[in-house]
This record gives sequence, C-alpha cells and structure tokens, in this order.
Amino acid sequence: MSEQSALEKFQTLPAAVREKVETAISDAKIELKLRVGLMLADQKETAEHKVTTAGRVGAKSGEVSELTVIMPLKSDGAARLRKFFKVIDGNLAGAGQVGTLHNMRFVFLENDTKLLFATAYDGEWDPYIDDFATKIPEFMDYLFRNVEGWPGIASPDVKDFIVKYQIPAEAWFVSHPNLTVAEANRLKRQDETVQSFLADLN
Amino acid sequence: MDLFRRIRRKPTLELEDIQATVLRARPEPYFGTHAILEITDPAAGKELLRRLAPRVTSAARWDEPQPSWMALAVTYQGLVALGVPESSLSSFPANFRAGMAARAERLRDTGPNAPEHWEFPFGTARVHVAVTVFAENEADWQSEVAAYERELREVPGVNLLSHQDFGADGFNVFGYRDGFSQPVVEGSGAEPLPGDGRPIKAGEFVLGYPSETGSPLATPAPDVLGRNGTYVVFRKYHSHVDAFNRYLHDNGRTKAERELLAAKLVGRWRSGAPLALAPDRDDAALGADPKRINDFDYADDPRGLHTPLGSHIRRMNPRDTKLEVLTDVNIRRIIRRSTSYGEPLPADALTDDGRPRGLDFIALGARAIDNVEFLQSEWVNSGNFVGLGKEKDPMISLQDKKGAYFTVPGSPPRRIQNIQSFNTLLGGEYFFMPGLSAIDWLSR
Ligand code: HEM
Repeated sequence: MSEQSALEKFQTLPAAVREKVETAISDAKIELKLRVGLMLADQKETAEHKVTTAGRVGAKSGEVSELTVIMPLKSDGAARLRKFFKVIDGNLAGAGQVGTLHNMRFVFLENDTKLLFATAYDGEWDPYIDDFATKIPEFMDYLFRNVEGWPGIASPDVKDFIVKYQIPAEAWFVSHPNLTVAEANRLKRQDETVQSFLADLN
Repeated sequence: MDLFRRIRRKPTLELEDIQATVLRARPEPYFGTHAILEITDPAAGKELLRRLAPRVTSAARWDEPQPSWMALAVTYQGLVALGVPESSLSSFPANFRAGMAARAERLRDTGPNAPEHWEFPFGTARVHVAVTVFAENEADWQSEVAAYERELREVPGVNLLSHQDFGADGFNVFGYRDGFSQPVVEGSGAEPLPGDGRPIKAGEFVLGYPSETGSPLATPAPDVLGRNGTYVVFRKYHSHVDAFNRYLHDNGRTKAERELLAAKLVGRWRSGAPLALAPDRDDAALGADPKRINDFDYADDPRGLHTPLGSHIRRMNPRDTKLEVLTDVNIRRIIRRSTSYGEPLPADALTDDGRPRGLDFIALGARAIDNVEFLQSEWVNSGNFVGLGKEKDPMISLQDKKGAYFTVPGSPPRRIQNIQSFNTLLGGEYFFMPGLSAIDWLSR
C-alpha cells in the first residue's frame, strides 16, 4: 500500500481512534498507524481479546492468563534443576494432568543465579495452590526448593512468596482466548468421533 | 429421618472446647434465629462475651438430642471492635480480614448479587458478632432466644442490627430434603455411614489438628485463640421458587417429566433419593434412609447419564468423578449448617407471591472461606472442571440473562435453554467461630 492510500484509509477511521493513535505513536510511519488504528477500530476482535487481570497479578485474555516469575536460585540450584531436566530430556509431559496449563518454560538467567518461570494457564492460579499442596507436593517442592527462600508448597506463605516475584505482562495475546485446555480436550474428543464416523461412513 | 450419626469410637478431638454447631446436626424439624450484633466499645463487647459464654454449647456428646443450643461467631471487624491486639489480628488470613463484600470479585458476586444491593447490615463494617440459636421445638427456641436477649439488654454498648428467624421440617423452600450430606470428621467419633468415604482429617474442619496436608493449617495467634476454632461462611439467599417452577413447566409436559428434570438439576429427587440409586423415579423410602441415601459414587456413570455432571450435588461434591483440572476433592469439603426461612412455594405456583423465602447458606471449616471462594469461581460459576465449558450450577449460580442453559446428558443430550438464576444473594459475611476457651480469652 502506498503511503498516500494508507493516509487516505487512516482518515476514514473514527476520530477518537485517530486521535488515540496520533497521541500515542506520533513517531510511527503511517502504515503502522493504520494497522494499529484498524485494530482499535475492530471492536469485535478487540472485545474478544480484551485483556483483564488474573487474580492478584498478571494479565488475562478471555479465560487464559499469564504468569511470569523471576526468582533467585540457590548456589547449586541451577545445576540441580539442569540435572533433573536432563533426565527427562526437557520434557514435562506429566504436567498435562494439571489440566489448566497451556505451556510453561524454565529459563536460567544471569549466570544461573536466577530462574525465569513463565506459563500460560486457564483462570487463576491461587485457588489451585492448595490442591497442588496435597496432590503433587513432592513435585512442586522438588522443583522450587532450588529457589532461595522457597517456603514449601504447603506453607501459608507460598502465595505471597510467588506474588512477590511475579512480573505482570504489559501486553498479552492469546489466539483463542476462550479455549481452555479442558475445552480443547473436549473438541479433540469430538473431532475424533467425527473423524471415525466419517471413516466408517465411506 | 434420624439425622444423628452416633458416636461409635472414642473421640480424640477436644469436644468440650469446640462449638456444638461444628459437629451437631440440626434436628428435623428445626427452629431458630440468627442475630447480628454491633460492638460500640471494647469493654461492652467483652462484657457481652462474658455473659454469653456460659450459653455457648460445646460439641461434647454431639450425637445426643438437645432441645436447643447456641453458637457464636465473630467477624474481623468484630475482633477489631473487641480490641484484639494487632499481633493477633494480623495472624488471620487475608480474605477473612478483607470480609466477604471486599471479595465479591473472587466470589463472582456481581450484578444483582453485588454487595451494593445487599440487605442491611451485610457488607458494612458494623457486623461484629453473630449469635445463632438452634432448637428442636418452638418452646425451647423461644426460651433460648429470650435468655440471650436478656443478656443483650444488660450490655448497653452492644446494638442488635438484625434478627432473622428460620425454621423448616428438613425440606428447603424448593421442596427438597436438604442438609444431610456431610463429610465425616476424623477424631469426632462419628460412625461412618455407607457411602461416606474415608473420614477427612480433623484439621480441615477444626484449627489446630493435622489437615490433609499432614500438618495443621495456618492457625490464628495466640494458640488459645485459634485452637479448636473454625471459619464460617454465611450467605443469605432469596429463592425464586416461582421461576424455578416455571422452568420445570416450560420444559416438562407432565408431572413425571417435571419431577425428573427437577431431580436432574439437583442430582437428587425431592425426597433426597439420589439419581445414582434411583435413576428413573423417586423412591421416598430411600430418601428417608440415612444408611442408603449417600451410599453411591459416580464410577459407573462417567458421562452423567444418571446424575448429570452439571447437577448441583455432583458439582459440589464430585466424589470419584474424573475432573478435567487437578483438584483434591478431599480438601474442598465443607460442613453445611444452612437454615431455611419462609414458607415453601408449592410446585404448581408459577407466580411470585412477593414473600421472603430462601436459604441462609452456612459453611464451616478450617478452609471454609477459601473453599467457598473456590467453589463459587471454579465449580458454581464455571463448567470447565468437568468439561462443561461455560455452563453453570443450575441452582445457585448467577446465570447470564441470555443464552444460559442446562444439559441433561443422553443420546442425544438435551440442552434446556433459558435457565434463570434461581437464588439471589441478599448478603453475607465471613466469621471466625472461636472455641470456648477462645471466647473466654476474647472476653478478658
Ligand atoms: C439457596 C441455595 C441452595 C440450595 C437451594 C441448595 C440445595 C441443595 C440440595 C437440595 C442438596 C442435596 C441435599 C444434601 O446433600 O444435603 C444440596 C447439597 C449440597 N450443596 Fe447446596 N444448595 C444451595 C446452596 C449451596 C451453596 C452456596 C453451596 C456451596 C458453595 C452448596 C453446596 C452443597 C454441597 C457441598 C452439598 C452436598 C453434596 C454432596 O455431598 O453430595 N449449596 N444443596
């Protein structure tokens, strides 16, 4: 698109949208202003992806929330975690049983002195900490005891401890904000039924 | 129905120090009163506790019938009004300190259920002490209430903010037998009845004992204040029985069809007989038999063909249902001491008579506050945990004005549209129910 036609198209956007774009990103090229303007003007799309808050800290889009923590590691913490991740080839398949985790990652920062843990998950995490504490306490404590000051998953202080290191995302996008892991599993089961029905039919 | 479990084993809990209501089931029929009090100066509050302490009944011999008993509980604002030291106040959990109204978002108490619509005095900082009288007959109810009122009159610095009578024959205003399914508390001495499952660790219900984690849950300081106490969640609902009846009439042509739908919504027939054991028609004898009424699980009904996955009792206690989300069902149990008020509306009444009726939902337990918050967001106002997406609890959720439905599983499933909110929240509070020595400590 030429700069001229981008400008013309931009002029057709609602005045309020144009003004918002002009004040926030006055230094951007007109093509980018047009893109941002179109996004803001598409109310259905923005409504579906509306970013709200997930409990105490973190962003949430539809049903899907983000959690990012950066925690200080004990001196041998990274080495021990690496050993563990190596045994399982970095494959955390068992985490599927939690039923709310879309993904998660463990990254060592600053010469192995800090751990970045980031996940996309359904709903809010703090209602489920108590369930982790009785259902998978060994696992939670095995991973996180490598963190300096970890109070233990069953400790009443554990929620505050996590919140203390949580860094909320400033922007958050989820392609299917209303598709929880449970819903995705249901759709997969439904699709299997449809596929085998089609296979049998032909 | 004889609701009293018997003490069959030697209790290991300090029953003399625990309040009766924790273990004592309410009789059928029952009569009673909930009163809410405000303390205007610490000395008056202490004087009130000193006077009421001898009337607060303990859980000793909780299985023996007793004509009447009294319970007492305090909000966080009440502890402040009593002048409890800061070191102690700060040892209480954050949600209790904030109070129910401040937790509205977590509890999904929005729209018509939001605190701004609540009845006085709920949600105000003036709610300090709750006194409840339970009785098995009218005369003992009246004399127990009169006795507490005499003490109240002697203490000028304490105001009565509300007085609500309740009573029923064991059936709630929708016409269902209610309040009998309860967890078995380890150490209470209770005989487990068939289907009760294993006893749940005492620390889940009484502070100071080992919980399901293996150790006691966080207990307020000092020990004398926290030990043998528990938390109470009180939520007063107004029931729209007419709307419920209309939903049944709109979706059932015959009485039999309507009653089956009524059973599918709750998971039990009105008699109390569970769909799990009586899938096709009500069985009144089963509903009145404490040895059989809970003797079931959901192992042979994974799809909910008998008891819908979304029915009220299967949501509130999924037993062995395979859940989509990792959850420990044993830490989500609550002791229910709910009371019904107002006259039931018969099943053929399709218009509202404008009279007050409903349920004071009362949950007790060391995790009662966490659990009701959990239940409200995860199991009541969402269906995700059993793969039901956005479908909500048919009895107690806040339904969307448009597009809400209830699914009766089957081949094909039946999706019944336009389900309404059948209960509206009129208010509620979080309380701490201290043990008897803690009441004594608070009164000094
Ligand atoms: C006006 C409101 C309510 C009505 C009419 C109602 C009705 C009922 C009925 C008829 C039963 C079956 C009888 C029994 O098991 O005792 C039941 C059970 C139960 N309800 Fe409710 N209920 C209400 C509110 C609530 C709330 C707010 C909660 C929790 C947040 C709750 C949790 C439970 C639990 C845990 C059970 C026992 C399930 C079991 O053990 O199988 N109820 N309710």
